[in-house]
Amino acid sequence: MRRLSLVLLVLVCALGLATTALLPPTSAQVKIPRLNFKNRTLANGMRVLSVEDHQSPTVCIEVWYHVGSKDDPDGRSGFAHLFEHIMFKSTKNMKSEMMDRLTEDVGGLNNAFTANDVTVYYEVVPSNYLETLLWAEGDRLAGLNVDEANFHSERDVVKEEFRQRYLAPPYGKLSYYMTQHSFMTHPYKRPGIGNIEELNAASIEDVRAFHRSFYRPDNATLVVVGDFDQKQLDAWVDKYLARIPKPDIPLPRVSVKEPQRTAERVFTEYGPNVPLPAVAFSYLIPPQADADNHALRVAAAILSAGRSSRLYQSLVYRQLATSATANAALREDISLFNLTSILASGKKAEVVGRALLDEIRKLQDDPVSAAELEKAKNQLVTNQLRDLETNNGKADALGEAAVLLNDPNRVNTDIEQLQAVTATDVQRVMKKYFTDQNRVVLYYLPESERPKGEK
Amino acid sequence: MNVLRRTLRHALLSTTLVGLSLAALPATSLAQQETPPPPSSPRQVRFPKPVEKTLKNGLRVIAVEREGVPLVTTQLLVRAGGETDPQQLSGLAQMTATLLTKGTTTRSATEIAQAIEALGGTLNTGARWDASTASVNIMSSRLAQAMEILADVVRRPAFKDEEIERLRQQSLDSLRVALRDPGTIAALVASRVVFGDSAYGHPLGGTPQTLPSIKRDDIQRLHQSYYRPDNAVLVIGGTIKPAEAFNLAERFFGDWQKPAETLPAASTTASAMQTGASQRVIVIDKPDAGQAAVVLARTGIKRVDQDYFRGLVANSILSGYSGRLNQEIRIKRGLSYGAGSSLDVRRDVGPFVASAQTKNESGAEVASLLMGELARLADGQLSDVEMTPRKAVLIGSFARNLETSGGLVNQVAALALYGLSLDEINSYIKSVEAIGASDVRQFAGGRLSSKGAHLIIVGDANKFLEALRKQFPNVEVIREADLDLNSATLRRSTNLP
Repeated sequence: MRRLSLVLLVLVCALGLATTALLPPTSAQVKIPRLNFKNRTLANGMRVLSVEDHQSPTVCIEVWYHVGSKDDPDGRSGFAHLFEHIMFKSTKNMKSEMMDRLTEDVGGLNNAFTANDVTVYYEVVPSNYLETLLWAEGDRLAGLNVDEANFHSERDVVKEEFRQRYLAPPYGKLSYYMTQHSFMTHPYKRPGIGNIEELNAASIEDVRAFHRSFYRPDNATLVVVGDFDQKQLDAWVDKYLARIPKPDIPLPRVSVKEPQRTAERVFTEYGPNVPLPAVAFSYLIPPQADADNHALRVAAAILSAGRSSRLYQSLVYRQLATSATANAALREDISLFNLTSILASGKKAEVVGRALLDEIRKLQDDPVSAAELEKAKNQLVTNQLRDLETNNGKADALGEAAVLLNDPNRVNTDIEQLQAVTATDVQRVMKKYFTDQNRVVLYYLPESERPKGEK
Repeated sequence: MNVLRRTLRHALLSTTLVGLSLAALPATSLAQQETPPPPSSPRQVRFPKPVEKTLKNGLRVIAVEREGVPLVTTQLLVRAGGETDPQQLSGLAQMTATLLTKGTTTRSATEIAQAIEALGGTLNTGARWDASTASVNIMSSRLAQAMEILADVVRRPAFKDEEIERLRQQSLDSLRVALRDPGTIAALVASRVVFGDSAYGHPLGGTPQTLPSIKRDDIQRLHQSYYRPDNAVLVIGGTIKPAEAFNLAERFFGDWQKPAETLPAASTTASAMQTGASQRVIVIDKPDAGQAAVVLARTGIKRVDQDYFRGLVANSILSGYSGRLNQEIRIKRGLSYGAGSSLDVRRDVGPFVASAQTKNESGAEVASLLMGELARLADGQLSDVEMTPRKAVLIGSFARNLETSGGLVNQVAALALYGLSLDEINSYIKSVEAIGASDVRQFAGGRLSSKGAHLIIVGDANKFLEALRKQFPNVEVIREADLDLNSATLRRSTNLP
């Protein structure tokens, strides 16, 4: 790929771009470097994906567990995320925080995140520590050994995380309320952070049961990207991960189906720390793996990627709003397309709401121009390129394709699908999903505007 | 994905060369326990080597090639930032830099956004304390088009009245939001307390009182005085050959005329505040705060200080996930989602800040933990067993920052800004490794003494004030509604200008 780009550069110079009237670039000219990955499945059901790349002497190790906030037990909202924190405490062979000794202390890093459908643990370390980390990931998959003191103190940390993300900042609760109101029956309606009461109710026995249910090799995908020898990696994987037995009990899976929306629902919430009112819409869109999401991602870029985007131009630049964003928040079972705007001072939420609706209607009524479509694709393709600058970014992309799209090849093929989206595709998905009855509306207002007597 | 992370640490990419052995790990005596397999021998890291030339108009151009995906970052850096803002016009440098993309003599704001975004690129401008920057990030094959736009916005901004008014209103709205966040308020108050009315004391983005005073003439004058080739550095880094980078620099910036007037001398008022100020303990009472923001702040050092690497290592002992602050506040006591510190080095003496957010009830306890750890760095024990991993953290993070074209360009541009050798990229690791425990203790005692540190808490004072007064009888309490960031008194009075 590097060679190809240099050829292009030489061509550009040879053509002598003396003037700045340049040809509009087309995204189809751009070839994203392919990730050449190895894919194997161990006898215990663990999937292992790897990309050998010696550019920097580091390696990124990720373990994707197919369990997320939607799997929080009843009455234990926030548990999958709390559990993720507990995975850094003691195991059979490691003391609490030993993961930090094996990563941070040698110049690497570790972290983890919990999403609706997955929990992901990752480390980036100097490549000579790869064997050490494969051992360590195997050890915490094999079993935890947590005591009361560590459990309680880490639960306090998570409660502080709740306060820091949702209570302290202005608009912290906006996304929280939007999540709650956007689903009727699916457990996606419970915000992943949970709430203080249900966090307080969690016990060490819950931790053991959760580990037994979900932390098993046939529910895990290991992704390794960076400076290693494939044969050596295979041998270490056989030694430290293949030995973990697959349990006989079935894997619990969420089977609740979110019903189609049949009428617009409008909610108003109030907060103590809302300097300017906000308005948000959500529309139900298909599961993450659905092919319509390519066109929906392009639509989101047309609406809000950059200062030339439609929402920026019509709401922010015209000073109706301080911010206006659109995004396809993709989830495994069913997704949301969110539009969110914080108002400019002195504006009315209803006016901004109508302006958002106008922008949706325009995309339904008229096909986007070739230039605007190309711009959106160029932005999405360049973003993907930015994601591939690091081993960590490559591992993220590969893990997401394998676990959430159930096809690791899509790490390479989705970008081609996205580049093939037409103006007709965009118009079609806008008409199909952005109906009045498929809309949830949330007005988020300062506490001072709550009508007297209302609670 | 909507995700919750274990820590707020940034997940950039890694590289390191520290061949640390695992001997330092706690030994275990339990039967049948496994110990982790030790590391193999470390591999060498190669960092890219910057090359440079100076154009006839005085513009310093630096090119730095690295292998990888076909992306390039180009940054034009001007050696003037918020430190040049007159007191009553705080926010001027920031507003000027932001306006660069809001119209040129030949393009409107919308046309600029369309031009760069059609290429898939980004164009960002802004001011720091000692510099203003304009940067593009773009696919290598489209760099020429992007650099033409970059040159246009830096050299020929229109500063139209209509755009100035629009930005003013948008900035005021942004401030309305920011000034409701306990962490943001605490950081702005800390700057005023440490630097008073000197150059680094005001909010970089201005205040609700100063933004309305900024006139087009002020903006135009700042641009004319400081945005000139002999006061700028152009850094081009990523997947690009240096010869090509130099050609593009010449093509788009070679005819940028240097004005006849001499360059204004840099102001040096910041360091005036560094000694003698007595310790202040300030509570901003914000009854609706969902959490208390606790900040310890004092003067730190300049970037060119000979103690820079001592300072970096000292800060690393305190900060980072396993640094002392997070150990004591989060890991041992569960009092916060994260505690840390930063040694913010600038052209002149910048601040040292330690901070954490906690439930209002624990505000006083976290304040005393922050203060205690700062004191212990100077007085307490410090072994190599603790030092070695904290140095590894610095080295690993430095190397990871160089992996993206944006990170690489930022590092090189900072060296150029402070007149440091560009070779420092390749001597950084040795400089960090050379620091010993006595260096850190000396630095902490002499340059980071807790006696010179001020304390600021923004939160629901009812819940922590009594406990705080027991430790600090001299607490000043200011209601959120009375807070005035325009002067060091911090208190609104009726006869302000």
